[in-house]
Amino acid sequence: MSLRTPLGRAKGLGSAKEGVGHWLAERASAAALLPLLIWFVIGLIANAGADYEAARAWIGHPVNAVLLVLLLVTMFQHAQLGMQVIYEDYIHNDGLKLVSIYLTKFVAYLLAAAGSFAVLKIAFGG
Amino acid sequence: MYTDKRPLSPHLQIYKPQWTWVPSILTRITGGAITVGSLLVVYWLVALACGPEAYATAQAFFGNVLVKIVLFGFTWALMFHTLGGIRHLVWDFGIGVDIRSAERTAKLTVVASVVLTVLVWIAAYAV
Amino acid sequence: MAEIRLPANSRVTEGQTYPAPAGAKNVKRFRIYRWDPDSGKNPRMDTYEVDLDSCGPMVLDALLKIKNEIDSTLTFRRSCREGICGSCAMNIDGSNTLACIKAISDIKGDVNIYPLPHMPVIKDLVPDLTQFYAQYASIRPWLRTETPPPPRERLQSKEDRAKLDGLYECILCACCSTSCPSYWWNGDRYLGPAILLQAYRWIVDSRDEDTGTRLDELEDPFKLYRCHTIMNCAKTCPKGLNPAKAIAEIKKLLVQRRM
Repeated sequence: MSLRTPLGRAKGLGSAKEGVGHWLAERASAAALLPLLIWFVIGLIANAGADYEAARAWIGHPVNAVLLVLLLVTMFQHAQLGMQVIYEDYIHNDGLKLVSIYLTKFVAYLLAAAGSFAVLKIAFGG
Repeated sequence: MYTDKRPLSPHLQIYKPQWTWVPSILTRITGGAITVGSLLVVYWLVALACGPEAYATAQAFFGNVLVKIVLFGFTWALMFHTLGGIRHLVWDFGIGVDIRSAERTAKLTVVASVVLTVLVWIAAYAV
Repeated sequence: MAEIRLPANSRVTEGQTYPAPAGAKNVKRFRIYRWDPDSGKNPRMDTYEVDLDSCGPMVLDALLKIKNEIDSTLTFRRSCREGICGSCAMNIDGSNTLACIKAISDIKGDVNIYPLPHMPVIKDLVPDLTQFYAQYASIRPWLRTETPPPPRERLQSKEDRAKLDGLYECILCACCSTSCPSYWWNGDRYLGPAILLQAYRWIVDSRDEDTGTRLDELEDPFKLYRCHTIMNCAKTCPKGLNPAKAIAEIKKLLVQRRM
């Protein structure tokens, strides 16, 4: 039972004096995703049932390949930032919170890398 | 100490559903859902890069009617989360941060997300 | 994990019913949260049938009638009875407001009355607001200057004074903060809409000279950035204030100062 005063508890360890960076990154990635998603959904509609060659031709086109890589990177960055906020809200065990945040970051990097590699492999004719 | 025995007053159990927090938690839930859905996007791309047999398996998977129902759900989640995200971006400029505007755009988001989902799927089948 | 369910000692049971006196025609049922710290039992809901024909129009009038005529053990805070002191803040019909300015006729069916949500309960409808007040003190809500005071007032233009409208009127009733799910889950580290609105009141006061430090002290993933623009605060404020807008302006200032 802590005998710290209520004011001491409210002040805690003081302000971290940072937070704008994360907030801006979430908004910047959201803004970038708006046009990228519109382009991607249109592309999916056009190519959803496409056969192997048609799908490869769409993805392999330089403009589509670049936009796809950008979409993957931005999408996973935005998802990672969003999940971090969710963990901070609901997980109060510091160890579990930290592990969740960094595990999600690693998986996001992995998936973005795997997806981008697949796109580039197709684009370079592999 | 006497303060240790105090109960916690009810919260989610008694707070009335409103056009403020319900769309907010839905925006969060749909965000989590499409984070999981992103795995399907990566799977499709990797399958395409791995050759015709892998791609055929992927197309068969996505052609399964149960998977299609899930994909329909993911489409709605994407539309709802995107529209909710646009509301947030506008709010971050300080615009429309009042109850009347927020409730109006919340109702618009619900309707538009369903309409957009249906339109996307009609277009996908038409093409 | 953030507790979605209430802890075991907080789960509410059914209590007793006090029927209306015979001959009462205009009867309304009031279901009220009760907890007695001396009983050792869990909280319960007691139902009081009130004859509205002999009762004032506001929920506070009904609470006082119940306390005076039916059950004197019913415990709640109240003072001004005109919506200015903030004492009678509680959850009525599912949202937080002041009992003294909430009309009974606005509520269809039974009137459900609970204490402010996700707060330690001292007794019946009385929450422990110690943490809330400590958070207010932590933002140092007074004018901070280096320039020595002028012979008379510190001058402020009409336009600058207008910026305080919608901020100074806050009565610190805690309706908004206790309506915020982020404050429910992280109330120990998140300052909450009421305190953030007051922080903005001092940030935007043209006579204050410590704006930078005020912003430094707010720029924290928990103190400020647990706000996700849920907007329950603006919806529930019984004084019609808009904490969500004030918080949005703080966030804009934090971006502006690094551009």
